[in-house]
Amino acid sequence: MPRRQFLGWLSGVGVVGSAVAAAFSTFVFMKPRTTYGQPNRFRIGRPEEFPSGSRMAIDTKRVCIVREGNKVAAISTTCTHLGCIVAPSATGFQCPCHGSQFDVDGNVTGGPAPKPLAWYQVSLTPSGELEVDKDSEIEMGTYLNV
Amino acid sequence: MSDEKKGNTLLELPANVVRSVFRNPLPSSDRGRAATSFTNFFLHIQPVRVSRQALRPTYTLGLGLISFFLFVILAVTGGLLMFYYVPSTTQAYDRMLDLRSSVAFGIILRNMHRWAAHGMVACVFLHMCRVFLTGSYKPPREFNWVIGVGLFLLTLFSSFTGYLLPWDQLAFWAITVGTSIAGYAPVIGHSVRFILLGDSTVGQEALLRFYVLHVVVLPIALCLLVAVHFWRIRKDGGLAKPEPATAASPKGAIEVEIREPAAASSASAPMRHFTIQGLVRGPLVKVGKLEEDTVFSWPNLLVAELFVFFLTVAGVMAVSFFFNAPLEHPVNVMHPPNPAKAPWYFLGLQEQVSYSAFWGGVGVPAIELLVLVLVPYFDRGKAGVGRWFARQRVWANVVFLTFVVINIALIVIGTFFRGANWEFVSPF
Repeated sequence: MPRRQFLGWLSGVGVVGSAVAAAFSTFVFMKPRTTYGQPNRFRIGRPEEFPSGSRMAIDTKRVCIVREGNKVAAISTTCTHLGCIVAPSATGFQCPCHGSQFDVDGNVTGGPAPKPLAWYQVSLTPSGELEVDKDSEIEMGTYLNV
Repeated sequence: MSDEKKGNTLLELPANVVRSVFRNPLPSSDRGRAATSFTNFFLHIQPVRVSRQALRPTYTLGLGLISFFLFVILAVTGGLLMFYYVPSTTQAYDRMLDLRSSVAFGIILRNMHRWAAHGMVACVFLHMCRVFLTGSYKPPREFNWVIGVGLFLLTLFSSFTGYLLPWDQLAFWAITVGTSIAGYAPVIGHSVRFILLGDSTVGQEALLRFYVLHVVVLPIALCLLVAVHFWRIRKDGGLAKPEPATAASPKGAIEVEIREPAAASSASAPMRHFTIQGLVRGPLVKVGKLEEDTVFSWPNLLVAELFVFFLTVAGVMAVSFFFNAPLEHPVNVMHPPNPAKAPWYFLGLQEQVSYSAFWGGVGVPAIELLVLVLVPYFDRGKAGVGRWFARQRVWANVVFLTFVVINIALIVIGTFFRGANWEFVSPF
């Protein structure tokens, strides 16, 4: 390959490469590393505050705390359809936006929701409080024993 | 020459100032009319001569111009509203109330901005229908159609980002539902949504991002594409028009001679002859020949444009006087309205989504968009250009109108026939 052609080719690669790198960097910049909104890990109180058999929806945190006997779990109340907040109902959960219905475990029983409601990791902090981590989804039916 | 002697005195003020600004006086001759179009920055986007067909209101319905003028109105009213708006979840709603109570002309400006935005979405769409139904995307205009589709998307996205800014219940839930639709795209859906919102839910980050997109990024992109769109109209030979009935006829192209007296003072001097030397049409420059059935842009095109401009402004102002832009209660994250609805132009999408999240929200729209972009490259027939509902294009038009009717029907169903829990209700 003649030197002139090689240099031209190299320049072309450099220019196109820079453009791609600049576009990619813009997206990296746009994707926030930290979010300024609500933290995804938060404490919800002591286990005694959730009596056995209770299903307490915390709308601000978009989780429902379920307690059965000694077992505690946190089920997402964000509808898997379009992100509205589902409300606990007699049969499980009901979404006000497009009528999706879920059973008590969050399985879809009706409506357009494509996926069951997520379950989040619940742990007990050293101070004896329950902590929900919305960044780690766990398998449906996994409870924390308290 | 007496003109030269007249110089060098202050008596020339202010005429010399005016002349330095407007190099071309108000034209009284054909030569002047031609010169006006290319010596004025704001007019040089116009051709010197324009075909009669392009000026016929029943051909274009003025929809492209109306869309552009609505964009101008939006830029002006939007720029003014920016002086009072704060993109903050704690302040935005209060600023909306301030516009109503304490800002002079605040209500009318917000109304104009809101209704012009809705109008622009509608007019850009109708303009697209006009271009399709008159077969105006045929070569050499294929790529301008593609740019037009891009402009349509930018218009939708501009309107959508603006929807969030009042930070009321309507805004919050429309954007919550709307951005969730984006989350259904395979693989990249969640990342796109996260980058768009800057967080996992709609909040302060989303408000700031939508604001920046709405007032900086999208308007710049729109301006750029509008400029290319207009430039290509010129370079593609003006608006699409039917081929002359008999191409071989000597009437196919004519030479126009422009006459004017050599100097106004000397009546005895012979007439000087000018000829427009070149008109750009397609990739070639036509030298010495003008297309038949054209008229000078000054004043014919200019008057038509001014008429459409004032009609548009008057229309928007009239609507803004009688109807207030909606403002619901401030955002309450805990209380989704039932049903929660996206902006009207996305209600067709939302209706589709209620049947199938992926296909309704991503699959079908993506296919429709792809087909829309590729239409001028599929539809290779050369017949029926520049006429409404040309018989040669009956199948293309039927297919297109079917899609239009289906999408409008879905929007109507989503808007009027859907009640609590998205169940079917009768509006009557």
